[in-house]
Amino acid sequence: MKTKYTLKLTQPSHFYFVSFLTIGTLLLSLMIWSFYKEGKALQASMLQQTHKEAQQELFKALNHTLNTTYEQLQTLADWDEVHQQLHNPSYYFFWHDERFKESAYFQPYYQEIELYNRKGSLLAPASPQSDLDSLLPEHIDTLPKASLKFSRNDLPYVVVFHPIYQRDNQELLGYVGLALDIKQALLKQNQFFYLDKSSLIFEPSPSLSTEAVIDHIQFKAVDNPVNFYLWELIQKFILELIVTLALVAGLVMLLLNKLMRSPLITLSNYLHALKANPNSEQRPPAETFWLKELEEFKETLFEFHHNLQQTQTQLDQQNLIVWEQARRDPLTNIYNRRAFDEAWNEVIQNYHKHPIATAFMLFDCDFFKALNDTYGHEIGDEVIRISAKVIQQALPLESPAYRIGGDEFAVIIQHRTEKEILEIAEKCLVALNDYPFQSIGIKEKMTFSIGISSLATQKEDFLTNLPRQADIAMYKAKQSHTSKIQTYNLMLETEASALVSNKVINRVVSSAHTGKHIQLHFQPIVSLSNPTFYYEALLRIEGEEGLIQPYEIFKVIERRRLEVEIDQQVILAALEVLKKGQLPERSGLSINLSGKTLLQPNLVSLFEPFLPLLQRYKVVIEITENVLIDHIEYAQKVLNKLRQQGFKIALDDFGSGYSSIRYLASMPVDIIKFDMSMSRALGSDSKTQQIIMATADMIIQAGFDLVMEGIEDSHMLEQARLAGATHVQGYLLGKPAPDFTPPSLQAHEEA
Amino acid sequence: MSQQINFLRTLQRIAVLLASLSVSAFAQVVTHTIPGHDLKAEAEFFKGEANKPAVLILHGFLTTNQFHTVKSMANAMQEGGYTTLSPTLTLNINLRKQSVKCNSIHTHTLQDDINEIEAWIAWLKQKGYQDIVLVGHSSGSQELLAYLEQQQDPAIKLAIFTSLFYLNGPELGTQSSDIAYATQAIKENKLAPHKYSFLFCKKDYYATPESFLSYQKLDRAYILKQLSNLTIPSYTLMGSADKRHLDVGLDWLDELKNTPTHLIVVEGANHFFSSEYEFDLQEQLIKILGQHFK
Repeated sequence: MKTKYTLKLTQPSHFYFVSFLTIGTLLLSLMIWSFYKEGKALQASMLQQTHKEAQQELFKALNHTLNTTYEQLQTLADWDEVHQQLHNPSYYFFWHDERFKESAYFQPYYQEIELYNRKGSLLAPASPQSDLDSLLPEHIDTLPKASLKFSRNDLPYVVVFHPIYQRDNQELLGYVGLALDIKQALLKQNQFFYLDKSSLIFEPSPSLSTEAVIDHIQFKAVDNPVNFYLWELIQKFILELIVTLALVAGLVMLLLNKLMRSPLITLSNYLHALKANPNSEQRPPAETFWLKELEEFKETLFEFHHNLQQTQTQLDQQNLIVWEQARRDPLTNIYNRRAFDEAWNEVIQNYHKHPIATAFMLFDCDFFKALNDTYGHEIGDEVIRISAKVIQQALPLESPAYRIGGDEFAVIIQHRTEKEILEIAEKCLVALNDYPFQSIGIKEKMTFSIGISSLATQKEDFLTNLPRQADIAMYKAKQSHTSKIQTYNLMLETEASALVSNKVINRVVSSAHTGKHIQLHFQPIVSLSNPTFYYEALLRIEGEEGLIQPYEIFKVIERRRLEVEIDQQVILAALEVLKKGQLPERSGLSINLSGKTLLQPNLVSLFEPFLPLLQRYKVVIEITENVLIDHIEYAQKVLNKLRQQGFKIALDDFGSGYSSIRYLASMPVDIIKFDMSMSRALGSDSKTQQIIMATADMIIQAGFDLVMEGIEDSHMLEQARLAGATHVQGYLLGKPAPDFTPPSLQAHEEA
Repeated sequence: MSQQINFLRTLQRIAVLLASLSVSAFAQVVTHTIPGHDLKAEAEFFKGEANKPAVLILHGFLTTNQFHTVKSMANAMQEGGYTTLSPTLTLNINLRKQSVKCNSIHTHTLQDDINEIEAWIAWLKQKGYQDIVLVGHSSGSQELLAYLEQQQDPAIKLAIFTSLFYLNGPELGTQSSDIAYATQAIKENKLAPHKYSFLFCKKDYYATPESFLSYQKLDRAYILKQLSNLTIPSYTLMGSADKRHLDVGLDWLDELKNTPTHLIVVEGANHFFSSEYEFDLQEQLIKILGQHFK
């Protein structure tokens, strides 16, 4: 849910930009609409008020006009000449048609005026000089009420009558009747401020009482200039508001765009460009930002990236150096075993996708061990250096040489025919043979063996077999004095296996892969300083006809290059033993590892399952001296790691190989095991005995445990004790057995 | 000196004003039906001292007894203890109260007026007044002369005419055509009113021919003749600044002077003795009455 929420919030800048614009526009429209609505309401209210005022004005005007009319009629009734006419109407027409109209009593809105005698009859029935229809009746019975009437032309007029009384006795003398042009009278007698005079319309209807007249008058209020001006002002204001706000909004948007959005997009693009091309230098955007902080940010970003790039370059260079160092053999300065493993893995992976012709070539210096023993390590090392250099120079540029063992070099060659490969091998061999090794003091002729295995476009499974096949081929070459270049073929494999029976080979190979038929035999290693002991686990394989002899097993393992596989099986078997608690308490187990297994990247993880058992048992990992010396740096790293975890490391067969004391100080080991030849040498001449004892003493003094192997009798045991051995191993104390046979009681007691 | 006179006059006016207010309180409106007409006439009557004569005061052309010159004269005499009767000639309007306009329909005749004067004199006599003085203003003076031509009532002891002129004369604007028209209309029995020129009513005197013609009798010669024929003493009070003199000529005063009437010319007074000349008029009237009725 939280992720969703975050995703919703995280939007590109134009989303917020458009949202801001939309919301702003909506709010603005709402405000302006509200203004407009209020303005309209105000206008309507004012119009309504004006209309109300106009109505009141009309009502007042109507009353005023009617009152005025009554007053005028009263004045008329008091006029001498009206009395004159009522007394003697002989000249009524003249009075009516001329005199009256000239008099001050006449009003222009009098449509008609007549005098009636006390009986209600007109003083004269009709004016002979007038063709107009009379608006006033010829006779009235009683004093009629004022009423609104309409002429034939629908012109409105109000008929009003007023009685006239005798002056002396107030007897009724007659009536005066008036047809009043009500509209004209209203307009003449009144001033209108709210009523639009031109809008007055009297609705034609039957006679009405004057009280009801008001309801039959249509009118309009005058256009209130203030109202209209106000409305114009409001409209103008709203318009100006819209324009102003639009301008302001536009400016804000432009400013926001210029200040924030555009720089953000530019910076974002810049960052994308940096991300897409982290290794190339990207100049900062040319656009100059208005915001100082963003401008600084841009510069900082550029500088940061620049510095980062420089750091990266330095790091890359250092990595390259480290990589090179990790993959360069310090002695020969050609690629080492690790580089080879990586290169070989890459070949395998690529071959899976693009099968191409691949060949594997192994070089080995014949009798190198003897050479080393004879001329010393310095000359041996020089021979290795020269060999590497010569081989490298003779190889094609694209095919580097790898030092994968002490005097063993490997080459991977691709895109070449078998013939070309052979030519390359011959070229290398010629160069090696031609090198004047005498210059470094070697008197004997140096010979080299080359094993080749190649694969045109076969299956991947076979590709992984190439190193082993080249190894077999090289083994064959070593055996030959003349054919020092051997190319692997199936025949060679048969030859290699000829020494042991096929049954044995099959059983060993099968056991190496499956772990079946593997038996561990245990030989005790007894402490000379306290009554403790532990066992060395020794590999045995159960054959169809009894146990297969160790030398047979290792011959097959070595020839078939199955060291790693068989070591893994032994480790698993030892783990099983410890887990089952078959081992006596306070004892331990020592496991042998081949050089190839030591160089496996997963070595530490192979021993992880032992960690919980280390509190109960001592677990020793035995490594041969040659392996250690060849890969001293890598071995130190890996073995120290194991030591930190609680494992003990033993240097096996000390004295069988180089036995170089020079290396001892840097050996990542806890225990030194003297080879049986060293133990036996204790019984030889005194000089040798002294050297060995001095060596043993030196080892003890350096803090190592010293195990002497091959103790077969009490004399040897005594000599071992005298030499300072901390532990002893040999038939005297116990032969290798499938069970945990305690050390020989007598010998143990002696020990 | 003139200042002292003015001051004294002011005091006199105040006194007269107060006296008139007190006297007016006793004046009453009386009506009298004119014999021979179905009309009533109205007059203002003030009963004065029993031993003093009654004065009938007649208003001028188309006005009423409320005309200020008439009121002024009546007040002076009432103040002097004289009974006064100020009738308003009906001019054929029942109980007429208002002045009549030129363009009102005039149906009244000189004889109607004379009859009304006669009726009012009879009314006074009926009230027991045996000494009657006739006072007229303007055309009222002429009508009194016309009455005196017809009636020589022994009760009438004295006649005072103020602003006495005449009605008919070319110098007054009388149109011979009007007279001819009216004369012809009567002959043809066309009695409808018509607009004539008559004194200040220039072409808008709306009258029946009979009415119009009846007053034409009062011309310059007739007035002078009747003054000469009077059997009772008479006084004639004229204003020297009367604008009528511009029409009739200043020799009119001389001609009056040549009649038996006692001509008194008030210097500076206009036709109506307006303003301060009102008092001169009053003084002269009281003086005349005082001389005749001691």
